[in-house]
Amino acid sequence: MELKKTHIYAYHAEHGNMVDFGGYAMPVWYEGIIPEHNAVRNSCGMFDTSHMGRVWAEGPDVAKFLDYVVTNDLSGLNEGNGVYSVMCLPTGGIVDDLILYKMGPERFFVVYNAGNREKDFAWLNKNTKGFKVKLTDVSNKVAMIAVQGPKAVEVLGKLSDINVSEVPRFNIASLKVSGIDCLAARTGYTGEDGFEVFVLDCTLEQPEKALKVWNDLVAAGAKPCGLGARDSTRLEAGLWLYGNDIDESINPVEAGLRWVVKMKKPGYFIGKRALQKIIEEGVKKTLVGVMMEERGIPRHGYEILDGENPIGLVTSGGVSPTLDVGIAMGYVPPEYKELGREVNIRIRKSLVRGKVVKHRPFYDETKYGWKRDK
Amino acid sequence: MADEYKIEAGLYYTNEHEWAKPGDGAVLVGIDDYAQSQLHEIVYVELPQVGAEVNQGEAIGAVESVKAVSDTYSPVSGKVVEVNEGLVDSPEKINSDPYGEGWIAKIEPSNLEANIAKLMDAEKYKQYLATLKH
Repeated sequence: MELKKTHIYAYHAEHGNMVDFGGYAMPVWYEGIIPEHNAVRNSCGMFDTSHMGRVWAEGPDVAKFLDYVVTNDLSGLNEGNGVYSVMCLPTGGIVDDLILYKMGPERFFVVYNAGNREKDFAWLNKNTKGFKVKLTDVSNKVAMIAVQGPKAVEVLGKLSDINVSEVPRFNIASLKVSGIDCLAARTGYTGEDGFEVFVLDCTLEQPEKALKVWNDLVAAGAKPCGLGARDSTRLEAGLWLYGNDIDESINPVEAGLRWVVKMKKPGYFIGKRALQKIIEEGVKKTLVGVMMEERGIPRHGYEILDGENPIGLVTSGGVSPTLDVGIAMGYVPPEYKELGREVNIRIRKSLVRGKVVKHRPFYDETKYGWKRDK
Repeated sequence: MADEYKIEAGLYYTNEHEWAKPGDGAVLVGIDDYAQSQLHEIVYVELPQVGAEVNQGEAIGAVESVKAVSDTYSPVSGKVVEVNEGLVDSPEKINSDPYGEGWIAKIEPSNLEANIAKLMDAEKYKQYLATLKH
């Protein structure tokens, strides 16, 4: 099967080390994961995220409809505000995590995971019954570039016709980048300050606008980063990866996402009954962060043990280039969740010692990430 | 594509891209240029245990990049007599010098001739690499 391509493919094919990522031809790195990771943490990195799903939701009932399918509360949003949420099955299992932006009284822009594009669009459509709402998948007509790092404002600012530093976190604004109509949201998946830039009216067949924005960003000082650094930066930030840390068998309470479930918002939302019961009865497992105390790199699927007694599995793991230590996220019974608790991870034949730590993020927030001391 | 990778003459190679260099009473073991290049930026090496008795083809450790883990299989049978402790702090030596400073272990062989018969010399290994997809 031929791999799908994004708007920025021509650049990747020339400069990147390509892999098959869920059916998309994507760069895993250009120069290397570590220099790209460090650019995001210390300066400015840039990712092509055009493989993600992007949908316009419009109509008189759009706010009511979205409040019915997602768990977070959209009623307080003003135009330009965005919100992170999950949408759940009636069982409470997570269909996907996503960001929703209010663009007008009857208009939202919705962004979700690449691997769930078809599933999510079908799920949203399936649940529109009774709502006056229209959904338009524009994933192939709008390119998406994440510009991330402490210098993201400076780099994007060079090409923008608005003062991008004035876009508040989790807000979205219309602007021109290199003279091209775009939206820029003050969001990302790295823990750093930065933007997700949406290049409007740009099809896969005629990707010139997206390539111009990309190339101009490179010239302005953004270092192109592949999926390797995308994963290593999001892991250090302790952010959930759908398919690893969350999926339809996991509910948001277990996943540490209780804060995006607004039980008291007006009206019913899909999964509410199940989640009510889960909250009342408590969960049997919960997501924790683990930092290694001994040498070794925890990986997805490795066992977490209390002494020699298996208590859970690593869902995401790797080495933190910033901290130079192995870090992991995984599920354990709640009695093991307190910070500082010693656990072991089975790495091949050895039990390697680690401890439960705060994982969102793993790093010191005064030194790294968007809250860092200036 | 086989020409992209350095293949050192006088060494013996496995299908899994380890090399063995027989010397005075002991065999030096490492991973080759192809393996280090596939892994890219190596960040961690799990060394074999000194004193361990190992069999040809047995996993004796691992080499890891940010993204991937690759088990290291012993190219020969014998006893591990020394490991390259320098790799603990500088695993990137495998990237920069896979056949030299990036050696992994020294093994006192127990059945060298029979083991070597199952390995590839440089010429054969070059042909083997040419058959692999990038």
